[in-house]
Amino acid sequence: MNNQSKEIRPPRWSQRLLRFFLRKEYLEEIEGDIDEVFDDYLEKYSVKKARWLYSKEVFKAMRPTLTKRLIKTEKLNYLGMLQHNIIITLRGFRRHKTTFLINLIGLSTGLAASLLIFLWVMDEKNVDKFHEKDDRLYQVIKNKVYPDGIITDPGSPALLANALIDELPEIEHAVTVNNSGGVGSHGILTYGEKSIEVDGLFASSDFFDVFTYPLVAGDPNRLLTTPNDIVLTESLAMSLFNTTDNLIGKDLKSHRKLMNSKVITGIIADPPKNSTVQFDFVINYQTVFDNVDWLNEWSADGVYTYLTLKQETDVKAFNSKLKYFLADKPDQEGNELFLQKYSSRYLNGEFKNGLPSGGRIAYVRLLTIVGIFILLIACINFMNLSTAQASRKMKEVGVKKVFGVKRSGLVTQFMTEALLMVLIASAFASLMIASLLPVMNTITAKQLEVNLNSSVIAPIIGAIVLVVFLAGAYPSFYLSSFKPIAVLKGKLNSTFGDLWIRRGLVILQFVISVLFISGVLVINKQISFIQNADMGYNRDNVIHFAMSIRNEDDRKSFLNELKTIAGVINATYQYGGSIVEMNGAGRGFSWGNPAENELIRFGRPQVGYDFIETLGINVIEGRSFSRDFGDESSKLIINQAAADIIGIENIVGQTIMDGDLEKQVIGIVENFKMRSLYEKMEPTIIRFVPQGWDILVKIHPESQAATIAKIQEIYDSFNPIYPFSPSFVDDEHQAVYISEQRISTLSKYFTIVAIIISCLGLLGLATFTAERRIKEIGIRKILGSSRLKIIMLLTNEFGKIVMIAILIGLPLSYYFTSDWLDNFAYATELNWWIFTLAGVLSLAIAWFTVGLQTFKAASVNPAKCLRNE
Amino acid sequence: MKKTKLGEFEELVLMTVVVLQEEAYGVEIKRELEERLNETLSVGSIQSALKRMEEKGFLTSEFGEATQKRGGKRKRIYSATPYAHRVLKEMKDVRSQLWAAMPNVATS
Repeated sequence: MNNQSKEIRPPRWSQRLLRFFLRKEYLEEIEGDIDEVFDDYLEKYSVKKARWLYSKEVFKAMRPTLTKRLIKTEKLNYLGMLQHNIIITLRGFRRHKTTFLINLIGLSTGLAASLLIFLWVMDEKNVDKFHEKDDRLYQVIKNKVYPDGIITDPGSPALLANALIDELPEIEHAVTVNNSGGVGSHGILTYGEKSIEVDGLFASSDFFDVFTYPLVAGDPNRLLTTPNDIVLTESLAMSLFNTTDNLIGKDLKSHRKLMNSKVITGIIADPPKNSTVQFDFVINYQTVFDNVDWLNEWSADGVYTYLTLKQETDVKAFNSKLKYFLADKPDQEGNELFLQKYSSRYLNGEFKNGLPSGGRIAYVRLLTIVGIFILLIACINFMNLSTAQASRKMKEVGVKKVFGVKRSGLVTQFMTEALLMVLIASAFASLMIASLLPVMNTITAKQLEVNLNSSVIAPIIGAIVLVVFLAGAYPSFYLSSFKPIAVLKGKLNSTFGDLWIRRGLVILQFVISVLFISGVLVINKQISFIQNADMGYNRDNVIHFAMSIRNEDDRKSFLNELKTIAGVINATYQYGGSIVEMNGAGRGFSWGNPAENELIRFGRPQVGYDFIETLGINVIEGRSFSRDFGDESSKLIINQAAADIIGIENIVGQTIMDGDLEKQVIGIVENFKMRSLYEKMEPTIIRFVPQGWDILVKIHPESQAATIAKIQEIYDSFNPIYPFSPSFVDDEHQAVYISEQRISTLSKYFTIVAIIISCLGLLGLATFTAERRIKEIGIRKILGSSRLKIIMLLTNEFGKIVMIAILIGLPLSYYFTSDWLDNFAYATELNWWIFTLAGVLSLAIAWFTVGLQTFKAASVNPAKCLRNE
Repeated sequence: MKKTKLGEFEELVLMTVVVLQEEAYGVEIKRELEERLNETLSVGSIQSALKRMEEKGFLTSEFGEATQKRGGKRKRIYSATPYAHRVLKEMKDVRSQLWAAMPNVATS
């Protein structure tokens, strides 16, 4: 039996478990006991059962009285040490109040600024991401290939969606949504006595299978089944009916045929704020197909096409199938299709020569970098101040080391210090964020808020840990490396390297500051350049409004009546919305040999009499449209750029082809520009229309309010469909660049923050240097040195550092800003004075910061500072 | 009773230690108690009771001789302290007084 039991071993892993967890002093006895019991079991039971019982015994022996303390008794010392470290740190804070305050202000401002930026960036990145099928939701985009380049256009023919579904099995749903190139979806909806001006969508019946807009009422399967179905948003339902209950089946009327007699089939929640598409209602697109013939043609690019792919479709393979989909469709030869992720349209909405070229993402990146830099600057401050004050700490470190404190203990101490500092700063930062968030929301026109969910908290904790590490690591390793004998003798072996690391960090800070300053100067210059740009027409005191007078004769007399108002200088009409974002450059003009030139694109606004005069466009040659000549529909006016391209000498009086019609050129005007300054000056051919829905009125700069009130009076007397809503063309022009304006304001504030933090660091260093050299200053003064000399002495060191930073920073600024300006077709010039100003500003700020401190130090009474010792 | 309390199971183990005299080590105490109580006990429960009582001053212990049987591991022999004897006596007295004070209720 004995022999046998020796061969049969107890289960090894239970044995290990026992040996690992049991207290050492009990192990021999208890393991012996269990072994003995195991032998007993072997005699009584099968080997298998005995082994099982052994394990059971082991498990039962895992009791707190018998196992090792997982929290060891030494841990109590750690707690003690932590307490000690915290006390030392707090004492340090109290004793060196300036340093503490500088660190506190720097770190908390830095944290607050970068967290605000983080919130903004998160918000930007979340736009349009709320749709459930976001990962496979795409928009079909078209590349139009022209001889002079590729034009990317999100518009597609209304016939595309169904053709795609029929031919490409990878598609789950494809929907058509109207855009301004097709039928407008602006109008008035009426129920009973109540009429409301609304903006909505015409969309295919499976719109709600592709996009996620939660249903409040209605049957999800019967939302847009017939051409007469309409789905309302909650807020529209509320303003029409004051309720969202029991609305299904009610009829809505409208002045527009496409929107008239619709039956409510559902109520959805309002589109969220972070949706790029905002609408009040959705009507089945079928009604457009039924009523608007030209949209049933392949040539009509009047809609957007969105689709969802089936799960696990290879998008690349699908794209290559899609590319030449239009090749065999009439009027679409040469056009190529590709998919863009729906949720990436917002940030990556720009294309250059058929390829994505960014868009708003550039601003998101810009601000992300700014946020990181600000945090970096704040960390550098902390590092610099901690290491610069090594002399304050060296005795402490020396004594502790003599008493046997390990290096790891000291590192822990300094890291605790950093952690505590950052935690206090975070508390202050949250206060700052709470008070600055409304301001930030005003600047960015967003509704940012701090939602404490995991997607926000995790990065914040990450940032705090990173800051603690960045700010604390170098000082703690540096300070804990002192040799006890040397430091207790009073020798601080600060090597050349340490000094240069510190200087290097200050240089880095100021390089960043120089970059920020010149960046802001350039951005501001560019913005004001755009806003005040000469577009070739005079947009001052010109108001624009959409006229919606039903009767044709009334429209003519309306314009005539406008001109009778005393404050009105001139009035005209045009077609196609505000002239600052007028769409519709296209080909179709030809002269001489059409094969050579019919593909050239021209801007082609359609305008009425007095257009040239109202906008103050200069006529170089010939005349403008005039009532004296009656209907001028067969006449054209071209601008200088168009005249250069057409290249016919003495073109005024000659004819060119506008499509199939021969039209006479009656004048040449100076170049003027519609739409964004991001695009090049277009050659433009102005055509005449006898009717136009957009009215432009040039009014006298004085008593404009009264003039506008009179215009409204006349407008209202004609019983228009829409209420009067005028806007100044200049404001419309500014609105095009609103996002640039916002970024510019934001970056200005954050630059100020960055500079303040850098200066705080410099201030701290200067204060400390002055404090350390106070005896030297005292002696110098006794020996007859003047105050100025001493100021020079103290400032020179910092002056040199900042000069180096400027020398590094300016070329970098030049590189980055000129790169940025390349995005604009109309870019301001980079003048040398911008960079000089940036350099001088940085230097001035640095000197001012240091100067105050050094002046104070230089004014010290030598008797006082030399009294001790 | 005293500040230091003696649990029911601890009391049983302690008395077994006294009963077993020289033989009072973990496994033997377990065997003895299992027989008397007619139930299975684990080494761990006996050991933790022993350690607790040693901590409280009811027991002292020392290693015995190494034997072949336990794979060369020594036993630890426990013995009760005078304090433990006193406490046991006190508990017995309290119990008998209580028994005496109990009215004669039928225990059917």
